[in-house]
Amino acid sequence: MKSPSDEPKDGLTVTPPKKWAAGVPAVVHALEYSLQQTSPRKTAVDLLTMNQVDGTDCPGCAWADPAPGHRNRNEYCENGAKHINDEATGKRVTEDFFRAHPVSDLAGRSDMWLNQQGRLTRPMVKRPDSDHYEPISWHDALNLLAEELRALDTPDEAVFYTSGRVSNEAAFVLQLFARAFGTNNLPDCSNMCHESSGYALHETLGTGKGTVSLNDLHHADLIFVVGQNPGTNHPRQLSALEEAKLNGARIIAVNTLPEAGLLRFKNPQKARGLVGQGVEIADRFLHIRAGGDLALFQGLNRLLLEAEDERPGQVLDHDFIGANTSGFEEFAEHARQISWDDVITATGLTREEIEEVGADVLRSERVIVCWAMGVTQHKHGVPTIREIVNFLMLRGNLGRAGAGACPVRGHSNVQGDRTMGVWEQMPDAFLDALQREFGFDPPRAHGLDSVNAIRAMGEGRIKVFLGVAGNFVRAAPDSAVTEEAMRTCRLTAHISTKLNRSHTVCGRTALILPTLGRTERDVQSGGEQFVTVENSMSEVHTSRGRLKPASKLLLSEVAILCRLARRTLDGRVDLPWQEFETDYGAIRDRIARIVPGLHDLNRRVTRPGGIRLPNPVNEGVFPTAVGKALFTRNAWEMPEVPEGHLLLQTLRSHDQWNTVPYTANDRYRGIHGSRRVVLVNPEDLAELGLRAGQQVDLVGVWRDAAERRAEGFEVVAYPTSRGSAAAYYPETQVLVPLDSVADISNQPTSKAVLVRLQRTV
Amino acid sequence: MNTVEETIEVAVPVRTAYNQWTQFEGFPRFSRVVKRIGQLTPSVTAWVVGVGPLRKEFEAEIVEQIPESHVAWRSLDHSPWHEGEVEFRALAQDRTAITVRMRIRRRGAAGVLTAVPGAAGRVVRQELACFKEFIEGLGEAGGGWRGTIRKGHVRPGEPERSKSQVPTWPVG
Repeated sequence: MKSPSDEPKDGLTVTPPKKWAAGVPAVVHALEYSLQQTSPRKTAVDLLTMNQVDGTDCPGCAWADPAPGHRNRNEYCENGAKHINDEATGKRVTEDFFRAHPVSDLAGRSDMWLNQQGRLTRPMVKRPDSDHYEPISWHDALNLLAEELRALDTPDEAVFYTSGRVSNEAAFVLQLFARAFGTNNLPDCSNMCHESSGYALHETLGTGKGTVSLNDLHHADLIFVVGQNPGTNHPRQLSALEEAKLNGARIIAVNTLPEAGLLRFKNPQKARGLVGQGVEIADRFLHIRAGGDLALFQGLNRLLLEAEDERPGQVLDHDFIGANTSGFEEFAEHARQISWDDVITATGLTREEIEEVGADVLRSERVIVCWAMGVTQHKHGVPTIREIVNFLMLRGNLGRAGAGACPVRGHSNVQGDRTMGVWEQMPDAFLDALQREFGFDPPRAHGLDSVNAIRAMGEGRIKVFLGVAGNFVRAAPDSAVTEEAMRTCRLTAHISTKLNRSHTVCGRTALILPTLGRTERDVQSGGEQFVTVENSMSEVHTSRGRLKPASKLLLSEVAILCRLARRTLDGRVDLPWQEFETDYGAIRDRIARIVPGLHDLNRRVTRPGGIRLPNPVNEGVFPTAVGKALFTRNAWEMPEVPEGHLLLQTLRSHDQWNTVPYTANDRYRGIHGSRRVVLVNPEDLAELGLRAGQQVDLVGVWRDAAERRAEGFEVVAYPTSRGSAAAYYPETQVLVPLDSVADISNQPTSKAVLVRLQRTV
Repeated sequence: MNTVEETIEVAVPVRTAYNQWTQFEGFPRFSRVVKRIGQLTPSVTAWVVGVGPLRKEFEAEIVEQIPESHVAWRSLDHSPWHEGEVEFRALAQDRTAITVRMRIRRRGAAGVLTAVPGAAGRVVRQELACFKEFIEGLGEAGGGWRGTIRKGHVRPGEPERSKSQVPTWPVG
């Protein structure tokens, strides 16, 4: 896949990677970008209400907010500020824009260019055999979509995709509509980011969510930060890590790249962060090979078991293991047989390095492991997280203060959308509750996740695709395959705030349904509304927009879905869509009766800080089939990388939010002016006969015969771990084979893409 | 390090005394110094204590809790500034001895206050007297949690299930 015509090509400059994150530059860059997009007044309104108790939840990430009364006046990070003001931009995409730019032109534009055109302002339709979007009224647009849905042979010919920006209320309405319509085809962005976490935690602990709170991080003695880059993707996590450090914690960062945010943090909220040296984050940095995390925790677990042999009764928490877990003996027998050669080969670390970490663990009473997509997006992502759970359980680091499992989720309401039932495999208890509450019989057969939805589209089994938020075409793997699949649909429709590539790679008919942003006032006939979201630490709270909507013709996500549902289901299933649209409190009343733990939602969620959903693990309850936490035996595994090849990971730049790059810069990594770069260890470059500055094509290697090629990348010598390379997402999604998925979770393996670098001819 | 030990007898059964004491969020109903307590998890409580205009916030971990026996806690710091235990002993069917043992490190403003000779003991004595007046006046506990905690790990009382049912399906 070639680079879009508008992308900068000759402007690359490379400077040494930064060794610290945030500080004054973060403030400057945030304000600079914000003021380019919108007015000083809007910037001020946005920023000062962001993440405040009665304000707007930042859509930037799912990191938890401090308790009410403990929040900063400026409770946001550089990336959140950029994101929220990117939404508040004064630029508008008008009818004239679409007259000037046919779809074929837009399809050749970069993600950055498309985003920079501004906010969508009215519904648009691309008719069959037309190359232009043209205006359409809401009435006609929703009738068109409803008629296509009603004309399907079976409801399973439709797919309803959700991205993590969607509020709880809209997510609940979407899944209700899809199931009342008759399908469980509800893929979501979770399928592509933390699905492995959900499966592994649910299997071993009986709950799919993380077990720690922000306070637990503050009280921990030892925190692992594995396969995640908080400086760019969850910058407010750095404040929690800083506080933990100031309280005396040690931090071990495990990554293939020495990311700036893992090394040192200058907290821009504090005077010491603005003028001082900041706080060193990682006491140890383990420069691990890609996909080596399973072996690392297997090695650590073996060390703990051997330490127990030397000092019986002093290392393992036998009380916890005996009372709360099952399968310890089988696990221990397996773990003792892990070979050090295998551990060292897979991790690229020395035994001494791992033993030093083991000593840290033995000195620590409270241990937390945080992880993100560097762990989940591997073939063995699920076993890796199961091994992390084994590691935590050995010393009772679960279910008590300052200890536990912390999957760090990216999209701001990705966890809440799943809580609301957006999942293709919802358990019968949830479907039974829907049936009791609404009087229809929800389909029981499992639906399609993201990967299977693409397969089904490619095979012509899906006729209608509706995306609620997000940019499915770019977030999904195997871009060429995904794009071809989308084009087979009879109708594709997207509920969006801004233009993206999913609008340009479309079915025979395509609809753009523009919606309110989270920063905007949502006024319905029942008055001004708020929505609710759930963060990564299971806190459910409100979010209210304060700004005037970008256009009078925008509808909220809830309104669009309710109007669509009414038209589609008219005469088939009678549900109170009008009531839901008028007053979101009516939706929350129904959520309260269906979703466990959210009883009395309307009253409780408006308390400062909202509702903290308890984690059963912290109450000594493990809702697995056997009522106990499960130790698991996980076979050693590492990615195979034949000679002459590299294992590529796709990653985001610092100036980027999900699929949307704001600029072509990535200042923490020292990349300026171009995103078409591939970061490779200098020793690997020498072995491959390449040097920095050369142009290469990235050629994917997979078991099928398809050629996957990302063209025209400049080689940058970078301290990645040996055998690993890195390049930006979503440009390199073209290289991720659709069938290359994590075992069990079916999550694309975007951190383990086998490639060879071929000099550009 | 200040060490305080105070005992009081209350004219209620040990189960009543224990049940009421462990309704931590109800402390401000009788206490002079506890302004607010939030029970974050069965083993973690967030406290606001104060005298006059002074306020101190801290979190405490319950490390041991055995019904009708004792509750042991420590503040959640790397170097706990206070820790201790409350012991419940049945003296008769309707008489219970409650003993508070507390160790306080002299650190910060709270440390300065507790450094005044006898001050900490006086506060604990007063608080126990307040509890006695409260529980004897009520004659019964306003709730009760029958689970146990050992080394910070919670074991729910049988056949108690999770306090609040929550979604447990996988979250991606």
